[in-house]
Amino acid sequence: MNGALAVFQKELITYFRSPIAYFVVAVFLLGTGYFFTYNVFLTGDATMDETFRNMGVLLTLVIPVITMRLFAAEYSAKTMELLATLPLRPWQIVAGKFMGAMTMFGLIIVGTLVNLVPLYLYGNPETTTILSGYIGFALLGMACLAIGQFFSALTQNQIIAALITVPVLLGFWFIGNLQNFQTSAVLQELFAYLSFSLHFGDFIRGLVRSEAVVFYLVVSAIALSLNAAYLQWRR
Amino acid sequence: MSAAISLSHVSKRYGSRYIIHDVSFSVEKGEIVGFLGPNGAGKTTTMRMIAGYTTATSGTVKVAGFDMATENEKAAQRIGYLPEHPPLYDVLDVTSYLRFVAKVKGVTPARQNSDLERVISACHLEAVTSREIYKLSKGYRQRLGLAQALLGEPDVLLLDEPTAGLDPGQIHETREVIRSFGNSHAVLLSTHILHEVTLICDKVAIISQGRLLAVDSPSKLQQASQETNRVSIEATAPKEALEQTLRGVDGVQEVHVTRAPGADLRHRVECLVEVGGDVESRIARAVAGRWELHYLERQQPTLENVFLRYVSQGQQRGETQ
Repeated sequence: MNGALAVFQKELITYFRSPIAYFVVAVFLLGTGYFFTYNVFLTGDATMDETFRNMGVLLTLVIPVITMRLFAAEYSAKTMELLATLPLRPWQIVAGKFMGAMTMFGLIIVGTLVNLVPLYLYGNPETTTILSGYIGFALLGMACLAIGQFFSALTQNQIIAALITVPVLLGFWFIGNLQNFQTSAVLQELFAYLSFSLHFGDFIRGLVRSEAVVFYLVVSAIALSLNAAYLQWRR
Repeated sequence: MSAAISLSHVSKRYGSRYIIHDVSFSVEKGEIVGFLGPNGAGKTTTMRMIAGYTTATSGTVKVAGFDMATENEKAAQRIGYLPEHPPLYDVLDVTSYLRFVAKVKGVTPARQNSDLERVISACHLEAVTSREIYKLSKGYRQRLGLAQALLGEPDVLLLDEPTAGLDPGQIHETREVIRSFGNSHAVLLSTHILHEVTLICDKVAIISQGRLLAVDSPSKLQQASQETNRVSIEATAPKEALEQTLRGVDGVQEVHVTRAPGADLRHRVECLVEVGGDVESRIARAVAGRWELHYLERQQPTLENVFLRYVSQGQQRGETQ
């Protein structure tokens, strides 16, 4: 575990000494602030429902910017040769980097909490619904980060890593819409099951369903396992 | 006791192309072995297999007794590795970077500060400990790469071109670090600088086109190649008569005559002669008895000649296969 922690600490320093982290946090918070202002003050809906939905879509575009450098930058800077020859197992490298990315994402979540201040000042929101929305948002972010991290391991070009991750995440987000075009019940269920937005929709409505929790955890676990297996295979 | 590094019939293949072909050699504790070869010979691939960055297609690579195919994590704790390009994180400062490597290598918190001080002092990094790595000169980057390899007192040190990019003073200091480390550890260093090998290495391994051509001490390799000794002379004599006379001298194998600039009959001659004996005296007698002999020199084989000879033999062998 010490190895994974050392990688995690190194990742944190790397994030905060690079301008990209500040840029990503700023863009996400500005975007969220805009959606919140529009949804609450212009439409008069004093809930976080629509804002959460907008945050979900925004996340699929921002996460690739956080994850694109995770492995691609190690390859291009030739530092992967160091990581791969130090006494680290592939899963320790994957876990350390994932924890670093999750911490970055955690800061984004904390930043969005500022939106709750006017909501509680001028409205009467349901705390449990907001809480479940944030749980869903955290799980959604976790799955997106794991997928983005895996694609970053497949190429040494950060832009390519991001360009692969964006359509994949958007695909998971919008795949639920394909239900309407299917007559087969099996395909309808499959598309619904794979949909990031439908599962997230449950959390936004205040439902913390174990099926949805397990779905995000399983997607994350699969992506991280593939990531570790790929690093092992590269040797 | 097993060797610190041992390669047994190691091959590495990408598709149908062999990068490394049936390489076997070992490095004992307290030994510094120089790994010589032209660009693309397979030096870096071999170093990477020993370091555990890539695996051998066939054969066995062992470090500190651990098989790199199955126990590379245990072996990794015993290895200090400086790759061809120093693996540095530009956004970290020197101390943060070294602390990260020390933590991963399992250096206990109590020992971290003293270990960092040791490698910073050995690699003369005192002036830049708090500087971000992207601000470092090439020489400092190279020395920082060496410092991370020395952390955790590894049993085995693998250095791929450790003095590349250093100025003469830094090269001297780095060689001293490697020499002192090599007294009690096993060191394998790849280099293009033949002089470096004669200065610090106990043994030389010559590789070309993925095949190991020779492994021995620099002096023994030089001795073994004395069969290619050359005698150079310059004399004023007719070309054909001079060539015929020299070919008749006992021990002379080949004669190459070229005209010296200026005088009409002055010629330079390169003779390939046999090992031992007093061939140069016989040449001197044969030439000076009939013509004017301006100078005669017997050239001792340098490691450079040895290297070039082995590499050209290796290439000929590769072409015929």
